[in-house]
Amino acid sequence: MKPIDSKSSSASKTSTTSRRATPVSALPRRTFLKGALGMTVGLPVLEAMLDGNGQLPAFKGAHAQAAGDLPTRYAVVFAGQALGADGTPRNQVRVDNVRGLEENHFIVPGTTGADNLFQAAGAGALAAQVTTPLRALERANLLGDVSLISGLKIPFVRGDGFASDGSDVPSGGAYRDFHGGGCSPLISGTRSTSSNFIANGPTSDQLVQQAANARRGTPRSSLVLRAQPVFYLSGFDFSGREFISYSAGGRQGRIAAQTNHQIAWTSLFSSFVPPDDAGAAARQDFNKRKRLSVLDLVTGKRQKLLGSVGAADKIRLERHFDELRALEQRIAAIPPPATGTCQAILDPGADTNIGGDNAGSNAGSIAENTGYSGEEDRARIMMDLIHMAFVCDLTETATLQLSAFQSHMNVTAIFPEIAAELGRSGLRCRADLHEVGHNGDGENKGQFQVSTMLYWHLRQYAYLLQKMRDTPEGAGTVLDNSAVVFMPEAGHGRQLNDNSSEFATHSVEDMVLLVGGRAGGLRPGRHIPGNGAHPGQVLLRAMQATGYTGDRFGDVQGAFADL
Amino acid sequence: MRMLQIPWRGPASAILLALAVIGVGACVDPPGGGSNNPPAKPINSDPLTTALPVEVRRLSQTEIDRTLRDVLLEPSAAGSRLLTNDTFTPYDNNYLEQQSSAALVDALDALAADVATRVLADEVSRAAVIVCDPADSNDDACFRTIVATVGKRLLRRPLSADEVETYLPLLAYANEDNAHYETDFDDAVEVLLRAFLMDPEFLFRIEVGSPTGEPGVRRLNAYETASRMSYLLWGSAPDDAVLAAADDGRLDDADARAALATTMLEDDRAKSQLERFHAMWLGYRAIPVPASLSSRFNTETNALIDRVVFEEKRDYLDVFTLSETFLDDELADHYGLPRPTTSPGWVSTAGTERGGILSQGSVLASFSKFTDTSPTQRGILVQNRLLCLPIEPPPPDANADQPPPAEGDAVCKIDRYLAHTASTSCNACHSQMDPIGFGLEGYDIQGRFRTHDDDNVDCVIDGSGALPGFGTFRGPKELSQLLVDKELVGPCFMEQLTSFSAGRPLSIDELSVSEAWHERFVQDGRRLDTLLLDMVSGEQFVTKRDVDVEDQP
Repeated sequence: MKPIDSKSSSASKTSTTSRRATPVSALPRRTFLKGALGMTVGLPVLEAMLDGNGQLPAFKGAHAQAAGDLPTRYAVVFAGQALGADGTPRNQVRVDNVRGLEENHFIVPGTTGADNLFQAAGAGALAAQVTTPLRALERANLLGDVSLISGLKIPFVRGDGFASDGSDVPSGGAYRDFHGGGCSPLISGTRSTSSNFIANGPTSDQLVQQAANARRGTPRSSLVLRAQPVFYLSGFDFSGREFISYSAGGRQGRIAAQTNHQIAWTSLFSSFVPPDDAGAAARQDFNKRKRLSVLDLVTGKRQKLLGSVGAADKIRLERHFDELRALEQRIAAIPPPATGTCQAILDPGADTNIGGDNAGSNAGSIAENTGYSGEEDRARIMMDLIHMAFVCDLTETATLQLSAFQSHMNVTAIFPEIAAELGRSGLRCRADLHEVGHNGDGENKGQFQVSTMLYWHLRQYAYLLQKMRDTPEGAGTVLDNSAVVFMPEAGHGRQLNDNSSEFATHSVEDMVLLVGGRAGGLRPGRHIPGNGAHPGQVLLRAMQATGYTGDRFGDVQGAFADL
Repeated sequence: MRMLQIPWRGPASAILLALAVIGVGACVDPPGGGSNNPPAKPINSDPLTTALPVEVRRLSQTEIDRTLRDVLLEPSAAGSRLLTNDTFTPYDNNYLEQQSSAALVDALDALAADVATRVLADEVSRAAVIVCDPADSNDDACFRTIVATVGKRLLRRPLSADEVETYLPLLAYANEDNAHYETDFDDAVEVLLRAFLMDPEFLFRIEVGSPTGEPGVRRLNAYETASRMSYLLWGSAPDDAVLAAADDGRLDDADARAALATTMLEDDRAKSQLERFHAMWLGYRAIPVPASLSSRFNTETNALIDRVVFEEKRDYLDVFTLSETFLDDELADHYGLPRPTTSPGWVSTAGTERGGILSQGSVLASFSKFTDTSPTQRGILVQNRLLCLPIEPPPPDANADQPPPAEGDAVCKIDRYLAHTASTSCNACHSQMDPIGFGLEGYDIQGRFRTHDDDNVDCVIDGSGALPGFGTFRGPKELSQLLVDKELVGPCFMEQLTSFSAGRPLSIDELSVSEAWHERFVQDGRRLDTLLLDMVSGEQFVTKRDVDVEDQP
C-alpha cells in the first residue's frame, strides 16, 4: 500500500523524544459523537460497523454504563522486592561499610519506636510520617489517595518439623520455602504445597474481571503485562516467577504476560481511528481489514484441523484457536467513542532494549550494562496503556509485574539517580534486586538500599495513580472509581524456611499492601495496622469494592473491613 | 492439560545401585508436584521400534527464526525479537511447557505483519516469494502459483487446489479503488504471507498420520516425516529437496530416509543444529562473560563438535577427551596455553589438566553462581546433564540462594563449602555435588587455570575432586575420562538426544528406548552421524502413539 496523501497516520512509527511523556493524539469528540449517531462524517468505516440500531455493538455496555454508574477498575502492580534488608533491624543502615542507625527508611511508618503512631489511624495519618519509599507517593501528592496496610501475615507451620509434601500447610498458608512458597497464598489466597512458583487458585484480577464480564455480559480480558522481560540469571529460567495472573489454579491456569510494549499497544490501540484525517482513517481501515482477512482464513481451519487430531492434540490446538478467535474479536471491536479523556495513544515504537544476562549478582561480578532492559521506560509505557485502557473502558482489570518474583534485575545503572532523588548523591549499589534485599552490594546494605529500590517501584505505582487521579470521570476521577493494589513479594519478619531468623527477607510476616483509589467506598490516606490479617483479606476488600461479589478469595474468608 | 502424575525419570540402574550403596537414595527421588510430567506408556515391544507418544509441538523461537531465514530469506530473527521467551528444560522445544495465550497470539499477529513487510521490502526475500511475474495486479494465475509455492514451504505440505482457491479473494487487496491509497500486487501477497505465518500449521508441527495395525499407533505421512527430519537434523523447515522426497513417496522407505539424511547432514544447517543442541544440553547457550569472550568460546566448542562428528567422524565421546582444542591467539593467552601455529588453529592440551569440552570456557562458565564458580552448581551440571541423575531441589530449610556464609575459621571458599558436610542433612545431598565441583575448582568462571581463591592468595586450591561412587579426579580431563571409562556419559547423552528428539523429557518407562539406542550407538562405533541415520531411518521415527485423554485429567 502506498499512501497518496501525506498526513501521518496514528499507526506510523514515532520517535518519542521522551518515553515518559504520554504520546497522545486527541480523538475529536465531536466527530465520534456524530459517528455514533450515524451522521455523515466522512468516516465510512464507522458507519459500516454500526449495527441495525445505529449502536456500536462492542461498546453498548460502555454506553449504558456511561449514562448511569461508572465502570470500576482493579489493578495489581507487583514488585519482586522485599521490604527490608536481610537480618537487619528496621532502623539499621550501612553505607560505605559504616554501620549506623537511621529511622524512617523502612516502609512502615512509626514502627521502630515503642509507640505506633498510627494505632488510631485517621484521615491524613499517612502524611504524618512519610517513610523513604512513600516519598514516591508524596512527590506525586498521592498520600491522601492511598492506604498502607502493614503487619499482614501469611500463616505457616510454626514448629521445627513440617511435612515436605506440604500436607500440613494451613489454609491460605505458605509452604516453608521462600520464594516459591509465598507465591500462591499471596496472589491467589490459596495455600501452597511446594516450593514451586505456582498459584493453586485464580488470582484477584481474574476474579474481578470474571465478575465484570458476568455483570456486563461481554467477555473481556484482563490486561496482563510484565516490565521485566527476561530472568537475567545466566543458565536459569523464570520457572514460574513470571506469572502473577491465573484464571484457575495450576499450570493450565497461568496467563502469560505481554512483555513487549509495542505488541501490547497494537493489541489495544492500533485500531483507533485517527482524527480529522480521512486518509489516515482509510488506510487504517485497509490494514484492519487485512488483519481480519488473515484471521478469517486461519480460524476457518479450526474444524478441519481439530477434527483430524487426537484428543490431547485437540486440547492444545483448541486453546490456540480460542485465543485466535479472541484476537479476531479484539481487532473487530470498534474503538470506543471518545469521552473527551479517551485518547488514542501513539505507537510507542519497537521494543528493542533487552538486557543481557548478569555475570553475577553483586559487586565484583555484576557489570553495569547487563541485566536491565529499561524496565522503567517499559513500565511507564505499559502504565500509559493501562491508564488509557481504563479510561476508554477497554477492560476493568490489569496486572503489571514491574519485576518478577525473586528478580535478578540489575540495579547498578539506575541506583545513583534514585539515591540522588532521595538526597544521597553519589551513593551507588552494585547488585541485582534480589541481592539488594539480602545483602546490598557488600559495602552498602541495610534499609536505605532496600528502601531506595522499593521507592523505585513505588515511583512507577505513583505514575499510574497520578494519571488515573488526573483524569476526570463523572463527578470525580478515574482513580475514584478504582482500586489499585501495590504488592511487594515479601515482608520483613521471621524467616519462612528456618522459622527462627528475625527481620528476614525471606518472610511472609510483616508484609504490606498499598491500596489506592476510592472505589466501593474505600477510604484512602491512612496507615492501617493489619494485626496479622492475611494479605488476601485486603485483596478481598479491594476486589469487592470493584465488583467482585464472592465472600471468599481462595482459602481466605472475611474481607479486611477497615479499608 | 495436566498429565497423569507418574514417577519422573529415574537413574540408570548402574547409577542407582552406586547411589544405593553410598546411601543417598533420598537425593534422587522424583521432584514433587508442579512438574508437567511426560506421559507414561509401557514399552513392551522392541524399544527401537516402539512408537512414542508425541503431541502437537510449537516451533521454538529459534526454530521460527531459522525457518524464516531459510524459507523466506528473512534473517531478522523475528521469533526471538517478538515472542515471549521459551522455557528451557533444558531444551527450548519441550511441548509440555508450551501453552497458547493472548500474549502469544498478539505476538504472532505482530510477527506476521513485521515479517511480511520486511520480506516485501527486501529485493532478495521478495524474489523468493513472488516467484512469477504478475502481468497486472489482478493476475490470479501468478497469485495461485505463489499460494501453492510459498504455502507448501511455510505449511510444509502441498496445498490442495481447493485450499489454494481459498486464498484467491485476497487478490482484492491488490485492486482497491480508494482516494487515499494505491494498492498493487504486493498488498495481496502481504496478506497471504501473514495468513501463512498466522496459520497453526506453520506455528505447530501437527502430526495426524494414519492408523496402523496396532491400536493407538499412527504412522506419519510423508510430509510429517519430512518435518520431523528437518527439525531434528536442521532445527528448521524442510527445503524444496526434502519436500520433493516427500512428494515422491520416498520417505516411507527406510533406506531412502537414510540417503536423504546423509545429504542433510552434509549441510551447514546440521552443524548449527548440533551446536544448538550442545549449547542447551551443557548450559552454555547463555553464559555470563563478555560477548567477545563468549564468541571465542563458542568458536572453540563448535570446532570440537564439528571435527569429531562431521569432519573426522570420530567416536563421539572424543568430544569429551580430545587433547586438542581450537584457539586463536587471544583465547590461547586467556587460557595460558601455547598459541596456535596459525591463529586460529588447533593446539595440543597434552600435559595439562585440559582436554575435551568440559575444559572449555563455554562449559566452565555455565552453572556459576554468586561472584565465583560454584562447586555445587558444577556438581549439579554433572549429575543432571552428564549422568542424567535428577538432583532434588534443596530442602526448604536450606537457604540455597545465599552462598555458604563465612563462619568461624572458614576463610577459604572450600572450607565454607565443607560446612555442608558438617550437617548430616546437608551432606546427604551436597556430598553428591560439591566433591565434583571441588575437582573443577582449579578453573575459574572464565575457564582460566588458577591455584588459589580469586580473592585470597593464601587459600590454595587443591583441585582434587570425586565423582561419588565412581572415583576421584583432578581437573576436567580426568573427570571426562572417568565419565567415559565408567560408561556414564554415553547413555546419558543418548537420553538427552532422545528427549530432544521427542520434544519432552522421557518417562521412566521410556528409558529402555534410550538405552536401546545407546546399545546401537556403541555398535555403530559411537559415530553420531551413523546413529542419526539409524534413528531417522528407524520405524520409531515415523510413528506416534496417541496420548490418552484419561492421562490428562
